[in-house]
Amino acid sequence: MTRGRDERGSPSERFRRNRPALLGLALIGALVIFAALFPLLSSHDPFVSDFAHGIAPSGGPMPPGRAFLLGTDRIFRDELVRLAYGARLSLFIALSATLLATLVGAVVGILAGYFGGTTDFVLMRVVDVGLAFPFLLLVMAIGAALGKTTPETILLVLGLTGWLGTSRIIRSKTIQLRHAHFVVASRALGQSTTRILTLHVLPNVAGPLTVLATLSVAQMIVAESVLSYLGAGIAPPTPTWGHMLFEGQDVVLVAPWTLVAPAVAILVSVLAFNLVGEGLRDALDAQQMGRR
Amino acid sequence: MRALGLFCPVVLMIAACSTPFPPPIGSSHPDETAPRRGGTLHLASFADVRTLDPAVASDDLASAMFEEIFAGLVDYDAQARIVPDLARRFEVSPDGLTYRFFMREGVRFHDGSELTAADVKRSIERALHPTTPNPAASLYDTIAGFDAYTSGKAEHLDGVVVEGQYVVAIRLKETDSRFLSVLALHPLRPVCPSAGDRYKDTWEPCGAGPYKLVPGSWDRGRSLVLTRHTGYFVPGLPYIDSIEWTLSMNRAGELYAFEDGNIDLTHDLGDAELEALRADPRWARFVSAEPDRTVDGEVMNTEIPPFDNIEVRRAVASAIDRGQYHSYKPESLSPSGQALPPAVVGYDPHFVGQTYDYDAALAHMAKAGFPYDPATGKGGYPRAIPYLLVRQGATEYTAQILQQDLAKIGLRLELHLVNWPTFLSLAYTRGAVAMAAPGWAMDYPDPSDFFESLFSSKAIQGEQSSNTAFYRSARVDDLVERARHELDPVARLALFTEANHIVCDDAPWAFTDTRRFEDVAQPYVRGFKPHPVWTFYTATTWLDRPGSARRDALGFLWSHPAQSLHTAARARLSGRSW
Repeated sequence: MTRGRDERGSPSERFRRNRPALLGLALIGALVIFAALFPLLSSHDPFVSDFAHGIAPSGGPMPPGRAFLLGTDRIFRDELVRLAYGARLSLFIALSATLLATLVGAVVGILAGYFGGTTDFVLMRVVDVGLAFPFLLLVMAIGAALGKTTPETILLVLGLTGWLGTSRIIRSKTIQLRHAHFVVASRALGQSTTRILTLHVLPNVAGPLTVLATLSVAQMIVAESVLSYLGAGIAPPTPTWGHMLFEGQDVVLVAPWTLVAPAVAILVSVLAFNLVGEGLRDALDAQQMGRR
Repeated sequence: MRALGLFCPVVLMIAACSTPFPPPIGSSHPDETAPRRGGTLHLASFADVRTLDPAVASDDLASAMFEEIFAGLVDYDAQARIVPDLARRFEVSPDGLTYRFFMREGVRFHDGSELTAADVKRSIERALHPTTPNPAASLYDTIAGFDAYTSGKAEHLDGVVVEGQYVVAIRLKETDSRFLSVLALHPLRPVCPSAGDRYKDTWEPCGAGPYKLVPGSWDRGRSLVLTRHTGYFVPGLPYIDSIEWTLSMNRAGELYAFEDGNIDLTHDLGDAELEALRADPRWARFVSAEPDRTVDGEVMNTEIPPFDNIEVRRAVASAIDRGQYHSYKPESLSPSGQALPPAVVGYDPHFVGQTYDYDAALAHMAKAGFPYDPATGKGGYPRAIPYLLVRQGATEYTAQILQQDLAKIGLRLELHLVNWPTFLSLAYTRGAVAMAAPGWAMDYPDPSDFFESLFSSKAIQGEQSSNTAFYRSARVDDLVERARHELDPVARLALFTEANHIVCDDAPWAFTDTRRFEDVAQPYVRGFKPHPVWTFYTATTWLDRPGSARRDALGFLWSHPAQSLHTAARARLSGRSW
């Protein structure tokens, strides 16, 4: 951010003054409501083609209109209800995968940073190997080994490959903390390592962890879309944004809405999580500066 | 980086919605009908050719090239009729066992040597020799002495007899009504003396067809150049000087090159592109359909439950609303409920075959022992049925429609998406797949190609089984066998008609549609018509292209910025698969 840093008040007050972050939060809220409620309210079924009304006079998919607000897809299913259904999957996968990745990343990062030495060396070489491994190949291999891909396998794959970056950052944060006066003092007072880690280290990496997690949700949404787009995601007929994007590209000349709708959905949701993530960073960063 | 990430999709979206195609490049003498000589025809293909030796080839694309390079004793004409080609005429003995070919005299191979009856015999023996990996050899197993020769027991193939310098006779051990149909294919076509009498994979292709391969021009996997055979036996043909063929070109690239006039004729466009071209009045009349050569259907493995139950298969055949299939499917597909496509002799457009009848489908399910009540959703087959399909292939959509249709009669499909090689290895293996839609593309325009390959129990194999339903019916086997020996064409077709009825009723396949390719020719490509068997046959095509009509890419970008952006966007969008 180029504008001057807002350092007044508590982090939550600073976050509340951050207009883009609030917009992001509102978008996320809207997305959640859309995903949760729209499939229940809509008269269309995301899995059933409407051969009676969903076909345009030209024979192609129905363009956006009163009956189908976002038109119909290649096989004449309502695009909007599929988008909402896809949002459920995208959000579920992205949030669960992020939770998993954050958990693993935090544990690995804190252990490596706090203990250093051999622990650090071994864990960080594992991270190196993980970062060097072609991500898509790994995911495809896991998919092939499992025979088919379900939302659970996707979130496991994304979660178990997405913690690497987090662990690096948390590790360096922990190394700083290890030498902080209050940690050294706790050690001198004879506090157990578990206590130090949970009472002193964890709360102090919680800020960056939250920011990383929020930004990671956006990355997970994109990652899930990429997998589905490449055909390594969840099998049809289950709608996912990435797969809808793939379906749309073939008919972009005759039915551009089938490409635009999922593209905009991905764009807006990624933007929303990024705005919130950056808002959190601004709010929390100032707090930590103040403390040091 | 992020800003760019957001920018790209937006640009692509805007670009994708602009005007689709540039105007076609016109013919310079549109009113003249007399063919002009000269010029170079530019072709491109999505596929690659593994070999240009007719004795060992099996890919589709190669067949279009063979037709330009190699001439045969007989050939298919523009109406798919068998006509003499290297032979002036031929006669069949009254018992149907001897085919005698009287050859044209003075026919020259590309290397200048004369083509005689001895070359015919040498080429046939070369193609069928046990050391030649000829995937089509079994098509010719009725030639007398075939078994002894192909097992290495005989030095020569007894059934092929040189009766004079220009007369060759082929004797059969039993009557074979499809013999001429398979002889007209490429594997046995005469090859130059340089080919020798045994297959070698280093041989430079050389035959007696209208075009010859320019020596050294075949850059494997990339391109090849053919040039006019000046000694071609049909006077005045071909009109075009040379053909430049680009191989392994991705479809988006091909479309782009076609729009720029760098490719003159294309056979590989995707359905969406074809739809857009047909919708453009400037282009519509240059899109021409090849006859439907492919039959599609949902293949049910008759050895795997629930499809070992004929009533379940009948239920599936009645549950598919083929009209709905068609409303999704692009115009290159026509709904059909029978085993033959229109390009095949004996196709009866009035025969209805399998049709959609929901009540009948429910009745068949009840008879099968799996009654289903649509009102409550109760009943039906208790287990999910795995359905194998190629990831991101065209069947992804039909499979989902099928899934909806079958759910309405109590059959639950579970889609298993695999890549193409996995599909190929599983779909043709015994006991591997309950249901899939591998389709069947015609090899030669005769019903025997469909019934012998798809529905005869002889075609069942452990692997690479062309009978993918693993269907056996004593009646169909008997009809196919009788048809093979029936020389009266009318009686023969009647046998196949009966087999067609039985297959539609037994429903090892739920037939859904027939499929065709569509070619788009630039307006300056004249006299071109898609061939019913060979895709391209360009010996009678000529070019009438304005001076330097090829679009300069940079100049075009300058004069049509939006258009170029659009094309680039589409190239990018369509880069994956059509």
